[in-house]
Amino acid sequence: MSELLRRYRAWTVLLVVLLCALPFYLDAFWLRIGLFSMAAAVGAVGLGLLSGTAGQLSLGHAFFLAVGAYGYVWLAGEPGPGLPPAVAVVLAVLLAGAAGGLFSPVAGRVRGIYLGVATLALVFLGHHVLLTADSITGGFNGRSVPPLELGGFTFTASDPELTLLGVPFGAEERLWYLSLALFALTWFTARGLRRGRPGRALVALRDSETAAAVMGVHVARYRSAAFVVSSMYAGLAGVMLALAFRRVVPDYFSLALSVDYLAMIVIGGLGSVAGATAGAVFVTALPLLMTRYADQLPLVAAPGTTDGAVGPTEAARYLYGAAIVLILLFAPDGLHGLVRRTRARIHRRRSAPKDADPATETHPPASAVRAKEPTP
Amino acid sequence: MNDRTTAPPVLDVRDITVRFAGLTALDTVSFTVVPGSVHAIIGPNGAGKSTCFNVLSGLYRPASGTVRLGDTELTRLAPHRIAALGVARTFQNIVTTEGTVADNLMLGRHILSRAGFTASALRLPSAVREQREHLARAREIAELVGLGPHFDSPVALLSYGDRKRVEFARALCLEPSVLLLDEPVAGMNAAERARTAETIRAVRAELGLSVVLVEHDMGLVMRLADEVTVLDFGRVIAHGTPDEVRRDPEVLRAYLGTEATGEDAA
Amino acid sequence: MTTFLDNVLNGLALGSVYALVALGFVIIFKASGVINFAHGSLLLLGGYLTAVLHEDLGFAGALAVAVLATAAVAGLMDRFLLQVGGQDAHSAHVQTIVTIGVDIVILTDLSRRIGGDLLTLGDPWGDSVSGLGPITVADSRLAAIVVSTVVIAGVFALFRYTNWGLALRASAEDMEAAALMGVRLVRMRTLAWCLAGALAALAAVFLAAFPAPGLERTTGQIALKAFPAAILGGMASPPGALAGSLLIGLTEALVAGYQSELHVLGEGFGDVAPYAVMVLVLLVRPNGLFGAKGAARV
Repeated sequence: MSELLRRYRAWTVLLVVLLCALPFYLDAFWLRIGLFSMAAAVGAVGLGLLSGTAGQLSLGHAFFLAVGAYGYVWLAGEPGPGLPPAVAVVLAVLLAGAAGGLFSPVAGRVRGIYLGVATLALVFLGHHVLLTADSITGGFNGRSVPPLELGGFTFTASDPELTLLGVPFGAEERLWYLSLALFALTWFTARGLRRGRPGRALVALRDSETAAAVMGVHVARYRSAAFVVSSMYAGLAGVMLALAFRRVVPDYFSLALSVDYLAMIVIGGLGSVAGATAGAVFVTALPLLMTRYADQLPLVAAPGTTDGAVGPTEAARYLYGAAIVLILLFAPDGLHGLVRRTRARIHRRRSAPKDADPATETHPPASAVRAKEPTP
Repeated sequence: MNDRTTAPPVLDVRDITVRFAGLTALDTVSFTVVPGSVHAIIGPNGAGKSTCFNVLSGLYRPASGTVRLGDTELTRLAPHRIAALGVARTFQNIVTTEGTVADNLMLGRHILSRAGFTASALRLPSAVREQREHLARAREIAELVGLGPHFDSPVALLSYGDRKRVEFARALCLEPSVLLLDEPVAGMNAAERARTAETIRAVRAELGLSVVLVEHDMGLVMRLADEVTVLDFGRVIAHGTPDEVRRDPEVLRAYLGTEATGEDAA
Repeated sequence: MTTFLDNVLNGLALGSVYALVALGFVIIFKASGVINFAHGSLLLLGGYLTAVLHEDLGFAGALAVAVLATAAVAGLMDRFLLQVGGQDAHSAHVQTIVTIGVDIVILTDLSRRIGGDLLTLGDPWGDSVSGLGPITVADSRLAAIVVSTVVIAGVFALFRYTNWGLALRASAEDMEAAALMGVRLVRMRTLAWCLAGALAALAAVFLAAFPAPGLERTTGQIALKAFPAAILGGMASPPGALAGSLLIGLTEALVAGYQSELHVLGEGFGDVAPYAVMVLVLLVRPNGLFGAKGAARV
């Protein structure tokens, strides 16, 4: 066991070192993919807690991303109170949590897939507000995002100018480390939640509402709390996206974005932090990569060529739409489960004479929004 | 929260009536569970035994009648509040949640622990310590019911009998003063039945709690119960010690005469 | 007063079209326990087929083909992508998410084909209007009300008088018992999906007809307003869905009609008013207005 733990630690350290070294080797294109992926991962981990762990379907995630993004822009910008950007980040996350809290009378009482329908309202109402409240949101054209500044250090190309080991540190390099730190925070907190008392209560709520209730779990309160927490992660992801995009526009925060996040957690495997991350990277990076390499891909037209050809963005959407269907039909525990099973198989082959731990082999799939058990 | 040195409070069920869409599932049912005793509720299928449990644990609200635990009226309380008062239960059909035995038992520690979302997310020292302490106690309880070797195994991989035991242990993890067991040996083989009976006897002696037992296995009931209440068509038709009930002509006609003469010998 | 009547009539027309969509949605839910998030895409598919075929086949022929094709797609989707997952409630929840995947694929494809275009459906009403006492109404609206009423009456007759309707109602009550009684669940379910697909394709015609400018790639999203209608009706109740649809249609039309008085809500609030109604209702009654029991027990 401790041997395993040591190996696990070693891999983690190696991964962190690798991620920290990347800005010295990759150009801005790849770094931007990383920025968007990390932001999406933060949001997906939040949605994973709600839909995977607590079994509550939400199609309103785009709304909370918008609250975070616009919250930051307004709080740190002009028009707006023009707060120090670091303060604005924290307040924007809290604002997203508060928005989730306002919806909690619904989120606490409407269950499973029904909540999915109810949360559609948030996306459409939110989009309407973004378009019409133009004194705050800038209307259709959106607003530019004030750069983040932490103790005199600005996350832009200059101020102060910075060159490390011969690599000029522009906005992407700086934001990379910020995103990495925020993602690490997300990873740490979400795992703590998942493995701690709240996580167990939420899993119980998903698997059997009655069992959870008679074990002393306050059903409505925990459902609402899961919703609020998930909104806060979405808010943080919104801030990160805003900083990476440098401009926020209402049309980005559409139903399609909510569906993207759902795709991330389904593809990655519901209910696991690592799975949500993998799904987020997949769904985020795929269209960007396909755009970049469109001319080398069969069946995919270069972006801009319209008239009916399959563009890279569309090709990516076909792929992950189909991925959702196939994964749910054939591998309900997603990428995460696939990796786990492969690892178990390799492990078994290596230690062939010994009995492999059966636990790693046939872990029951964590699936979204379970059915309620029949009334006892 | 429950001082283990004092006896558990009296559970007093008074004139409970439950109706479903015109059908009367329980009709002015009354009984009293003496502190520290094993009280069996028996009756043919559909007699209202599980309905009765659902009232006791707050899942159903009766049309009339009262359930008192000590001085507290339970019929107006939500299930989680009743759990917090020390009433724990198992289910007839096994209802475990995803994860290991440890995860399930730790769910049983929910009301006894307090780490919230913030403390757990930030893994504050208080939350980490609390988790460690409760995990130790959960392991003790697992040992007590014979689940020790399976403590870190996923529940989904356990045998039927072991999964029933997980439910039992999870209920014990609430450190209840009243334990409601809904058919704890249904579907078990003879050896498993004997083992479970032994465990029930052991935990009652060790933890000094009251046990309310719904069971079809008359042998088990006769061996374990101090008192028996017999339900038929939602009414109490007899009440007394196992021997008294066994000789009651009404009971013989409604229940024993039809089905359990063979099992009775066990 | 005339404006009011105008708005009410608009609302009824809109509501009756939503009713076609919401009814299909509820039929699917009753038959399979699945919330079909691909319903908007099915609707768009029906509209698209009508649009591309009407020049060759004429409006009626194109519509017939579109209705049949959409019904077939819905049925095939249920039979080969959803039902393979099983019939129990847990699978129904997984299948609900599968419909989201299907929605992404269909919607991406149709959006790519439609692009930024506005497609006309070649419907016979065009932009003609009729005088009805003091008010003037678009013929397409009258047609929507008449056709929806007739079709919905037909669907209710199916519920009541056919074996399929009986099987649907029986299995919605208790799936296992229905199967034991000889209900062929697979066929019953697939037929339900086909019917729902057909209703959606029909609704597309009226959603794209005058005064709407035509079929756009976002027309499918308009159909999502039938979700609030179904939720208000309690998800599993066809009459509830009808009432919900009329409520939603009237709200939308009245809010849009009194736009200037309601300007504080922002321009175009009518379009999202159905969602506002849904949230308000759910705040008070989490089970919907005509609440199905058990949707939020314990």
